[in-house]
Amino acid sequence: MSDFDAIDSLLAAVGPEAELPSPQIRQELRERARLSKAQVARALGVSPSTVAAWESGRDPAGEIRTKYAYLLDGLAAKFATGTASATPSAVEPAVAPTPATTDTPPALPSSPMPEEPEEDGDDDEVEALAAPEPCVLCGHPAGQRVAGFVQHLAPADCRPATAGNPAAVPAPPAVKPVQATKPTAARTSPTTTRPPERSHGPARRAFQEPSGPGDLIGQAVKAALAEHHGDVEAATAVLLKRAIPDAMRLLDETRKGARYDVIAHPWIPDILKKQTSRGADQIWEARPKWTRHELPPGKHEVTALDINGAYLSALKTHLPLGQLEHSTGLPHDRRRAGVHLITPPAWEHEDVLPNPIGNRDEPGPLWVTEPTLRLLLRLSGPKYGLCAPPEIHESYTSGATENLLEKFRIALKDARDAAIAEGDEVTLEYVKAMYSKFVSTMGESNYNRELYRPDWMHIIRSQAFSNLWLKALKAHDEGLTVVRAMGTDELHVIGDWHRVFPEGRGVTEVKVKDTYTAGTDIDDSTGEEQE
Amino acid sequence: MPQKNIDFGKFGARGIKGSDAVARKLDELAGGIATPVTVRRGWIARLHYLTRTDHARTAARNAGLTVTDRTLKAWLEGKRAPSKANLERIDAAYRVVRRQNVARHLLKRLNREGRGTRVEIHPLDQSQVPRPLQRVVEYRSLNVRRWDRIVGAWATGDHQGLEAAWDDTIVDLGSQWGQYEYVTNVGFAA
Repeated sequence: MSDFDAIDSLLAAVGPEAELPSPQIRQELRERARLSKAQVARALGVSPSTVAAWESGRDPAGEIRTKYAYLLDGLAAKFATGTASATPSAVEPAVAPTPATTDTPPALPSSPMPEEPEEDGDDDEVEALAAPEPCVLCGHPAGQRVAGFVQHLAPADCRPATAGNPAAVPAPPAVKPVQATKPTAARTSPTTTRPPERSHGPARRAFQEPSGPGDLIGQAVKAALAEHHGDVEAATAVLLKRAIPDAMRLLDETRKGARYDVIAHPWIPDILKKQTSRGADQIWEARPKWTRHELPPGKHEVTALDINGAYLSALKTHLPLGQLEHSTGLPHDRRRAGVHLITPPAWEHEDVLPNPIGNRDEPGPLWVTEPTLRLLLRLSGPKYGLCAPPEIHESYTSGATENLLEKFRIALKDARDAAIAEGDEVTLEYVKAMYSKFVSTMGESNYNRELYRPDWMHIIRSQAFSNLWLKALKAHDEGLTVVRAMGTDELHVIGDWHRVFPEGRGVTEVKVKDTYTAGTDIDDSTGEEQE
Repeated sequence: MPQKNIDFGKFGARGIKGSDAVARKLDELAGGIATPVTVRRGWIARLHYLTRTDHARTAARNAGLTVTDRTLKAWLEGKRAPSKANLERIDAAYRVVRRQNVARHLLKRLNREGRGTRVEIHPLDQSQVPRPLQRVVEYRSLNVRRWDRIVGAWATGDHQGLEAAWDDTIVDLGSQWGQYEYVTNVGFAA
């Protein structure tokens, strides 16, 4: 008999698939709810790229499909109740949420079968709410939640906001049996254990207050301007002076309620300590300083491009959270970050591309930071195959996250974008001072004693250099001739760079610093760049 | 102490006394002359600091620099150079006087008008301890509002007083405070 049971369960599982809206609508629904792909993916137990695929045409199958349909339905219902136009669809998820009973397409406002709610009664639970919330049907405060939707249990209490809506009529019978079966259970145990697939369902609020640092930057600028009666220069000077403590305050604000603490004074290994008060420590930041040895023959128009806000973008990098721990002979762990003693691989493309570790004169092992190592590992991988993998001897690492400064970075970036759009030079200068001084003083600086993280300082700088290097590689791959990569943000190229880099002032765009001609006439073959 | 810290390091744990870490950090915050005393530039700078005013001279004498004014004059004019023993005395006196001079300012900054300063306590290093004997000791931070005893003991070079003051402070960490008698680092800003 067990064979037949198995077959029965298989047969039960095979049913009409839940209907999904078109891919564009799926994406639109998610974006209107301000949910990220990652959030949706986490709730459904899939990867964010899968969600992206669903939103570009692929269709999920099986149980996942049902869940996805349920989610989209819930979102559609939220928006529908927001406009109070399609009330029945709000009821739908309450009556057809389980995989076994989705024989009617949930997206359509159908009149449910009479036996359907009976089956659902096993899965739906009624929660008593401590504070009344608006009913999804009528908008008046209700004390119970059924299957994640706040609603009145008695249809008499529920006065639909749109009284003349004929479609609302089939809804009450769907809710009624639930009321008949469940209230006693709700009173005895208001916190019933919810099935796991519901735990991330619509019971969580789709629209949350944006949690963020508020408008600290705008307020500071406004206050400074008011204090100096609109004198732009005086206000800018005052703001620049305050930039470091203000950046630290903004950092504190952005870390409120965050998962990780900013650990400001960890034990620092000797390699990260300055040898003398004015000297440097032993870390090699891989600053690019490269000029092409030989230009292709002929005269060329060289464009000097400037990467906007290089250090601002570099705030997104893998930062070690806590105290650095020593390890030897271990392979690279991508969940950790820190500084590494490596022997860099030989670089054979010096004539067209800079060495990713910068121009180092001394041979032998050197201490590099996480972004440099990751760049080398990436370039040695099968996708690029530009060099041999670096040899890691020793590491000081700690568990890492890329999101530590993410809110901080976004707050600054938004303020910068807004300032550029409005032509607000004061804010622009202030933001620039904030991020650049924040990076340069987060090490052993007396100007910022709140944060003693020389490791972060090196890592963020290296990330900026690594970003520049990757831009050089991109230019090279797109057929431009890279002439020079210098410092944090300088890239000189020959060729039509407009099709590779967008021009503008945003952080993803580049601006032109200078154009000049270089090289010699065709007849002279030893082309040498003139500055 | 309530914890088994009597024979610290028996099983390979590494760290320093919390009070030593605090003293180290306070010294770092106090700053001072970076050039070592063994170099002429270093000891001359220290002597200038110790002989700038009568008040400084008295403080230096109280701190153990018991040489005659004639010797000091000869040193400062470059006619003679201090001996090795005297160099050590100069350095010790400089450290004591510097601490005394900075203490008041540092105390004000640390107390911050009663708001106090956040202190990070980084636990001892257990990487060399056998696995079964390792314990979970977390990174902790606390806000220290009253620094008077700590800074006072540090300024007078009173090791025991500083230890007592620090132990009384970290009691606020709760019942686990004994685990933080030895630490790798204590961090705070002023």
